Amino acid sequence: MQSTLERIEREFDTALASAGTDSKAVDQVRVRYLGRKGEITALMKQLRELPGDQRKQAGQAVNRLKQAVQARLETALEAAATARQETILATEQSDLTLPAMQSWRGSLHPVTQTRRELESVFRNLGFTIEDGPEVEDDFHNFQALNMPPDHPARDATDTFYLEDGNVLRTHTSPVQIRTMETRKPPIKMVCPGRVYRRDLDATHLPMFHQLEALVVGETVTMADLKGTLEALWGGFYGSEIRMRLRPGYFPFVEPGCEYDISCRVCDGAGCRVCKQSGWIELGGAGMVHPAVFEAVDIDPARYSGFAFGLGIDRIAMMRHGIDDLRLLLENDVRFLGQFPGVS
Amino acid sequence: MDVSLNWLRELCPFEASPQVAASALTSRGLTVDSVTAVGGDTRFEIDIPANRPDCLGHRGLARELSAALGVPLAADVQPVKAGGAEVASAIDVRIDDPDLCGRYTARIVREVRVEPSPAWVVERLQVCGIRSINNVVDTSNLVMLETGNPIHFFDLPTVADGQIVVRRAGVKEILTTLDGQERRLDEEMLVIADGRRGIALAGVMGGAETEIGEQTRVVLIEAAWFLPNSIRRTTRRTGLSTDASHRFERGVDPEGVRAAQDMAVRLLVELAGGVADKSWVDVYPAASEPRHLELRAGEIRRLLGYSPSTAESLEALSALGLQPSGGPDSIEVTIPSWRVDLEREADLVEEVARHLAYDRIPTSLAGLPVVESASVQRDRGELARDLLSTQGFHEAYGYAMIEAGEDDRFVEAGLNPPTALTHPIVETMAVLRRSILPGLLRATDFNQRHGTRDVRLFEVGRVFHPGGAKFPAEPLRVGIVWSGRSRPAHWGESDRDVQWFDLIGLVETTLDGIAPGYRPLRETGGLPAHHPGLAVHWSAAGVPVAWAGALHPELQAELPYPVWLAEIDLDRLPGSTSEVPQYSPLPKLGAVERDIAVVLPLGSVWHDVHEALLAVPAPAPVRIDAIDRYEGKPLPTGSSAVTVRVRLQPDQSSLTDDKIEAYRLKLLACLTGPLGLKIRGEAP
Repeated sequence: MQSTLERIEREFDTALASAGTDSKAVDQVRVRYLGRKGEITALMKQLRELPGDQRKQAGQAVNRLKQAVQARLETALEAAATARQETILATEQSDLTLPAMQSWRGSLHPVTQTRRELESVFRNLGFTIEDGPEVEDDFHNFQALNMPPDHPARDATDTFYLEDGNVLRTHTSPVQIRTMETRKPPIKMVCPGRVYRRDLDATHLPMFHQLEALVVGETVTMADLKGTLEALWGGFYGSEIRMRLRPGYFPFVEPGCEYDISCRVCDGAGCRVCKQSGWIELGGAGMVHPAVFEAVDIDPARYSGFAFGLGIDRIAMMRHGIDDLRLLLENDVRFLGQFPGVS
Repeated sequence: MDVSLNWLRELCPFEASPQVAASALTSRGLTVDSVTAVGGDTRFEIDIPANRPDCLGHRGLARELSAALGVPLAADVQPVKAGGAEVASAIDVRIDDPDLCGRYTARIVREVRVEPSPAWVVERLQVCGIRSINNVVDTSNLVMLETGNPIHFFDLPTVADGQIVVRRAGVKEILTTLDGQERRLDEEMLVIADGRRGIALAGVMGGAETEIGEQTRVVLIEAAWFLPNSIRRTTRRTGLSTDASHRFERGVDPEGVRAAQDMAVRLLVELAGGVADKSWVDVYPAASEPRHLELRAGEIRRLLGYSPSTAESLEALSALGLQPSGGPDSIEVTIPSWRVDLEREADLVEEVARHLAYDRIPTSLAGLPVVESASVQRDRGELARDLLSTQGFHEAYGYAMIEAGEDDRFVEAGLNPPTALTHPIVETMAVLRRSILPGLLRATDFNQRHGTRDVRLFEVGRVFHPGGAKFPAEPLRVGIVWSGRSRPAHWGESDRDVQWFDLIGLVETTLDGIAPGYRPLRETGGLPAHHPGLAVHWSAAGVPVAWAGALHPELQAELPYPVWLAEIDLDRLPGSTSEVPQYSPLPKLGAVERDIAVVLPLGSVWHDVHEALLAVPAPAPVRIDAIDRYEGKPLPTGSSAVTVRVRLQPDQSSLTDDKIEAYRLKLLACLTGPLGLKIRGEAP
């Protein structure tokens, strides 16, 4: 018996040694000795046939061998696992500095990005955002804005007339009218949108984008207009800017004005951007004309309000340093891809 | 308007430099766009607002400078003594339409010699951007440029019967104007006629037959006031706009008519050696009393947000010639005849604010009301922009105007023709688009021809669908174009151009992003511009909500690279719900999957197969997906073998193999039975 055990142990060690760090070969060795039909398993079965006094002694000897074999197998398996990890680490490498697989990068139009920036400043100031149709009638686009038929101020807006008798809105002001028609004061709104004028040259496109603000309440003054403009542009540019109002004429406001902000490039000292004036002209503004209130059944003696407008395209061009207006509507992906913002 | 600084100084003798004068005018709302030295003079280019016709003459601008600089105006030049005879009957003036002509004056100057003007006249006109013609024509321009009141000269002997009739034109009346154009008039236009025929288009341009010529010796001076709206209508209908009509349509000073006539007489005497008749004709049916307005201190404060002192308000108003009286709470003013723009109290508030400078207005936010935010719902257009830009598409901006016929193949059958513009600026912008896609296709063409093969663009915008109503419907739509590769090139994957499933997947992802859980039915067939075999539409309750597919080969033939395009009507999608999604417990048991390969012949509809399979009673909650597709031999062309994965997710107790197998056999029976399909790799 003893010699059998010694032989088995020798043969096991030889087999295990030749299996090396191959975990599959090690497992085959395990099966050969400890599997259901393994040699050591067979020895365990033979024990039952031995007489009682020999059985105990032989049993202890077989068990010792089994435990020794198990321990060596475990060690061998661990060595195999370690060797496998080392092989993986040694072989699985790549040049990770090469370009990776990308998704397509999209973009929002620079005018959309600027509009959203402006809207977020207005939202923070508690304004609502309103929308209206692009095809308008004469009443909403002109008459309610104190521009009766044959009013000379209609000259300034070269209008696209439609065969159905309507017009393509020449400004977003009709949205102010529609809002005042359906909602009673207080009103604090902005309306961004596309507007149309019959004009096409290097500095004019027949379609462009405006944003207008309207505030109506019982205590609204021109001082509040000035304060709101300061809050808007301070918020938009995130810096200290100065405001300037100059008298200006728009039929739907009285008193009317144009507003400038201090040039951010030279801080008012005068530079190329502001044409040496120190100021950047941004748009028209004023107190809502009493005739406009009358057109929408708001009592001008009880309520007052201000309105102002701006051109989103121009702000976007200044923001991104775009020097050719036409690029905005050409939809060249080489241009659009330069503004990768998507929010 | 081009203005002479020397002229302004004659009318208001101020010492201030050109720059100071220019900035004074600008800060009062008369923006000086440029200051240029011209000879010994300086030219101001001034943008005169439409409501200030009084400033369309040097006199009005001098009044503003006088108020701004505190320098009184120079005394008026005395009218020249008329040397001629008392000939009251030499001309007879009749106004037939006093609603359109409020005042008409006529005066005769005889013994005129038409000659070149002296140098000072030539130079002055040149500063104002007008070429000198001769001493008589130049006189009329000098009068207009100084007073703002246009005047007209007739060669008196050519005026038949010495008679002037101001009347509406007859139907189809024809008049040849000074510029040699034969103009067809209508009864809305006002003409100046003599005893026989029209001799001038009132307030716009004189007639050729009564024009001043080199032989003219006797001049009839017309100085008049015409109804602004009438002149404006005439210029619009004739397309003829002149320096005179520009002023008349804004409203000239009816009281200034006499001063204009006086100045014309003076210059004709001075420059052309004329002798003026002592008398003149003045028909003034519209003569009216001066208007008065009240200005309350409270109104100034209510609009401006600050209170000037009463003295300041009074000073501002009197500087502008408004003759204020009263105070402190209420000031009464008399509106000068030349200030046609001052109609309401608010106008006076502006006059005070302007004079005291807008810089006086304080800065505040105290008067702003607080409003409730009307809606918290995210705008669908904004959502679509976010979804598509994050999926790699560039936002495009397209014109609402397209060429007539350009969108015919991009709209559903039965849609009304587009709304046309009456006067398009170019033929490629003649009608309002009914689809976003023609513009995007144009942009794709532009990009492909500029060497960009990978074009991924979208636009969110309104389209215009005329219906029976006053306004066209303006549904908000998203258009998408895609050409080139489906993914950026990389060695990790072979390059592949965009396929139908890329585009359709993009549309469905977008639909789900805008209206989560909304799954409209997808069916074969797109828009007429789509390839009929490679296009689909989605619809809900029979109403299409989106279209997608390859460009029709006929249109594709004109483009370098294959184009796929889709459009979604955002207004037809269901509104997003305000419901907060509720949690359901996560499964504790493992899921079971079985795959079935089924052959779908040409013309079969996956949606129907999917619905039929889902209708088979399942032993546990089930999800059925098509996970793979094979086309090619031995399958007939158009057929595909689709691998259907069935995933059972038990929630109560685990499933036995028997139950799963029984369910699988029922699915097979459904496919082969009612649907009549073949199963691959399965014993019959």
